[in-house]
Amino acid sequence: MVLEVKKPRPLWEIIFSTHHTDIGLLYIIFSVTFLMMGGALALAIRAELFLPGQQIIPDPATFHRFFTVHGTTMLFLWAIPFAAGIGNYLIPILVRYKDMAWPKLNAVAFWMLPVGAGMVWLGFADLGWTAYPPYSIIRAPGPAAELWIFGLKILGLSSILGSINFVVTILRCKHPDLPIMKMSLFAWSILAISFMQLVAIPTFAAALIMTYTDRLGISGFFNPALGGDPIAYQHLFWFTFHPEVYIFLLPGVGMLYEMIPKFSRKPIYSYQSGVIAFMLLSTIGFASWAHHMLAVGMSFTEKTVFMVGTLAAVPASAMHVFNWIATMWGGRIKFAAPMLFGIGAILLFFASGAGGVVNTALPLDFITHDSYWVVGHFHLILMGTVSLTFTGFLYYMFPLITGRMYNEKLAKIHFAAAFTGIIVVFMTQHVLGLYGMPRRYFDYVPLDEWIAMNQIASTGAWVVGASYLLMIYNLIKSSAKGVFANMKDPFNIGEIYYDYRRREPIH
Amino acid sequence: MGHATIEWVYVGAVSALLIWVGSAAWDVERVLEHVPPDAQTIKVIGQQWFWSFEHADGTKEINELHVQKDTPYRFEITSLDVNHNFNVPDFTILMDAVPGRINTLWSQFDQEGVYLIQCREYCGYSHYNMKAQLFVEPKLETAAAETAAAPAVAPAVEEQKPTGDVTLTILEGAATQGNPDYDPKELSLKQGQTILVDNVDAMPHTVTSGEGPSDTNSGKLFDTSIINGGESAILETADVETGTYNYYCTVHPYMTGTLKVE
Repeated sequence: MVLEVKKPRPLWEIIFSTHHTDIGLLYIIFSVTFLMMGGALALAIRAELFLPGQQIIPDPATFHRFFTVHGTTMLFLWAIPFAAGIGNYLIPILVRYKDMAWPKLNAVAFWMLPVGAGMVWLGFADLGWTAYPPYSIIRAPGPAAELWIFGLKILGLSSILGSINFVVTILRCKHPDLPIMKMSLFAWSILAISFMQLVAIPTFAAALIMTYTDRLGISGFFNPALGGDPIAYQHLFWFTFHPEVYIFLLPGVGMLYEMIPKFSRKPIYSYQSGVIAFMLLSTIGFASWAHHMLAVGMSFTEKTVFMVGTLAAVPASAMHVFNWIATMWGGRIKFAAPMLFGIGAILLFFASGAGGVVNTALPLDFITHDSYWVVGHFHLILMGTVSLTFTGFLYYMFPLITGRMYNEKLAKIHFAAAFTGIIVVFMTQHVLGLYGMPRRYFDYVPLDEWIAMNQIASTGAWVVGASYLLMIYNLIKSSAKGVFANMKDPFNIGEIYYDYRRREPIH
Repeated sequence: MGHATIEWVYVGAVSALLIWVGSAAWDVERVLEHVPPDAQTIKVIGQQWFWSFEHADGTKEINELHVQKDTPYRFEITSLDVNHNFNVPDFTILMDAVPGRINTLWSQFDQEGVYLIQCREYCGYSHYNMKAQLFVEPKLETAAAETAAAPAVAPAVEEQKPTGDVTLTILEGAATQGNPDYDPKELSLKQGQTILVDNVDAMPHTVTSGEGPSDTNSGKLFDTSIINGGESAILETADVETGTYNYYCTVHPYMTGTLKVE
């Protein structure tokens, strides 16, 4: 089952396969492709904002399309499919089952993604990834908006099918000799996000249909002219998408629990506290959605409730951080590339978590709301924590997928450039927000501070972009010409690597 | 789990810190929510892509807001089309303008000057250019304020409909992208002739020289500034050299036309 470019299998054999490693591989290739495509849009946005005035993007409407598709791509075509891909690869191995519970359903779930992705990219809508009404229902041009709506419906359905498969595989197909409290924490994280998706996504699916009928003019759920309330949409939207933040994050947390003990050559400090923190985050994550809406004109009581709900999620995240640091403490750490990415991600997780506390503290929210602070904040968690972890784990999985080793030196350069770049872009954007620059601006007032900070941010973004191109080069070249990995212990750390060879692949 | 104590201590410390942050924030917000009883009300209306303001005495302003220093104001914020966000970063004023709802917020300005008002909620094509100016002026004494207010109640001067040599009409429905906007699109006239710009649309518009909001020379040759719906303005061309010039509407930058001066 090892994908070796030197011993290629016919393409159709991979494409029509229902084996979990093949589908996992397709998920990973798909998501990394869209990471690069979404990244290209981000670099265009940063080039446009390098100087005030119109630069490389011809008009504001195109700029709005760029940030909409960038956001949609990074969240639904990179973060979620990558986690699903790693889950596909590892969950059957970690719970010791021959495949996913329903292999054909698994393939169906994957093949819905290119359809949804095609609709989002062909439509190239300008709604903003949040698609707030009334703009999305009375002003956004079709058919781009319709394609976006139905693209997201398909992506949502794919996530639901994937989640059902994961829940059943983990809970019903787990080897009888493996008690659930001995199961890998990565499997716990996939279990947690699968349940969260099953609860969260239907709300947004309903909101999408209501938006669509509102656009047709046959209903007025969110249209004030027909007696609807645009704020109702925001509640439905964030009831899905605040938990979704944890759906992006928790697989990364699980991956760190896979990597950190191995590269530290120590057992996890406290397995139970990891499990408890997963349970806490996946439930409290549902109690804080309206902190995205503190400025829509809610009552003082509502604002207080959602501030408390948000702050309540912090100790559980802090438990994870504590667990990782305590695991590394006193270990003989091997600083291979995946571990470096992991450590970088933990540092930035701490920073973005602290920024989140600032956002939710009520009077401060009115300084940071809808400014570049917010852009810096959520990119710090999604790029700095989630994507760095995912990237590190991609390197960690590379020998398992290809049977060869990637170039360690290039991977370390990638880490150094990406980590520095991310800090330069997103920390600068925090400060830019405090100087009052709103997000989603095609052009800005030519204040010296704004220009300087935008230029620093753009430069950092190009460093990150270049580092990811280096990763693509490294991965493609190494999968064809890299040295063969020692599959028992490819990183020479004296710990057991994933062993899937004892299970015969089914074809 | 013999080593659980240290983790409990840590979680306790984090929780204590959060409780402190949360209660301090709650305490500040509780004070901020309380509007002083003598606050004057200003209605703020956001529309694609301009701000209009209405003072308690009925005075209306577009894209300019004049307030007095050290006077509490209560803003009643709403929108007539899509979501906007009324934001004055220098005074931490920030509140969504949502159609069908009136959101309130109060503030008091402690420094004179001119400040930027901007939109912080994505609202479409010209979101980035939905700007207005806040003028904080010295506080007038009560007696002086009455004198100053006097001209406002003076009998209305008989309005004369201005006339021009040529007429440029801004058509009804021009604010929606794709609709016909200026009539005629290409206006020719002799140097020195005056143009009557007649806005028959319900929305405010301008005729401003330049390629668009990003043009640094925008408005330098000629500019009507805001013409309210149903009103008209006179544009002089005496200082404009012969040639062909592009113009646009600063409120709706996709409305464009050309002016040919012979």
